Amino acid sequence: MNCQLCQKEMDAYRGGTLPEGIRIQVEAHLESCDACAQMNQLIFLSDKVMDEEKNLQSNPFLVTRIMAGIEDLAPGYESYHPVSVFQKVLKSAIVAVSLAAAIFIGVVAGNLYKPATPVNKIPVEMVYLNDAALESVDLLTN
Amino acid sequence: MTDNDIIAQILQGDRNLYRKLVEKYQPMVFRTCMGFLHNKDDSDDLTQEIFIQAYQTLSGFKGDAGFSTWIYRIAVNASLNKTRKSSKSLLVQRFEMVFGNSGKQEYSFPIPDSENPENILILDEHRELVQRALESLPENQRTAIVLSKYDDLSQRQIAQIMKTSEGAVEALIQRAKANLREKLSALQKKKKK
Ligand SMILES: [Zn+2]
Repeated sequence: MNCQLCQKEMDAYRGGTLPEGIRIQVEAHLESCDACAQMNQLIFLSDKVMDEEKNLQSNPFLVTRIMAGIEDLAPGYESYHPVSVFQKVLKSAIVAVSLAAAIFIGVVAGNLYKPATPVNKIPVEMVYLNDAALESVDLLTN
Repeated sequence: MTDNDIIAQILQGDRNLYRKLVEKYQPMVFRTCMGFLHNKDDSDDLTQEIFIQAYQTLSGFKGDAGFSTWIYRIAVNASLNKTRKSSKSLLVQRFEMVFGNSGKQEYSFPIPDSENPENILILDEHRELVQRALESLPENQRTAIVLSKYDDLSQRQIAQIMKTSEGAVEALIQRAKANLREKLSALQKKKKK
């Protein structure tokens, strides 16, 4: 048996469907020919990889996920349309306006706040209880 | 209840019945996606997209070729689109790198001497390589080999899905196998140099 014939019969050999006589010839050739033996191993590897991927199971919740996706569609799939450009622009505009409003309210609220200032008319014995009148701890320790 | 009965009822508004079709055909759609994408999470996501797309276009199902043929067509198209969009150029670059077109990296490819547990490790090393070899095939060859190897479909079924003749499918599968061998053995020779 030559290399060409051996490689032609390799699929059938691997599938176990060769007649006995040819199978023995293929095996004898594989014993004596490095190139064909290595080719046989390459086919073995690629078949293994494909079998392994083929036998992987999908996510057990995939059916539930798909049905949830269907539920999320607008009622009546014929009437379902992808989000229009107008809806996308509107959504972006609402987000931008909300953000601007939040910043504006933050600035206004910040301006309304008046920090504590030392109050002049308090008894001398109470002055050290006024936080605003206390010196920094850092200053005292340096 | 046949697939066509189920579809007729879904079209009349009973959307929960779609679950029956999903349960029945989800494993094969997932396998097809795996054959193209080689990644479980991506295949889960794409399977979900395919069934939602199929649901949205269900009124376009004519019932002349069977729901399985129809959903396979959607799965193949979606998978090919996904590989075109997200990874084809990258994968081809990586494949060329592996096979020496850019020649920067030598890819180690030890050949196992027997079918023993060591092969599990060797298989890990070569999984990516075999995937690259598959991804480098022309789309029609890749489709034929995925439907044949991953979904165990007959040449007749593949011919229906690909809208071609059984003879053409047989030729595609033979060419795909020859190309795969050629690419893998080219790598092996490169490693020996
Ligand atoms: Zn030989």
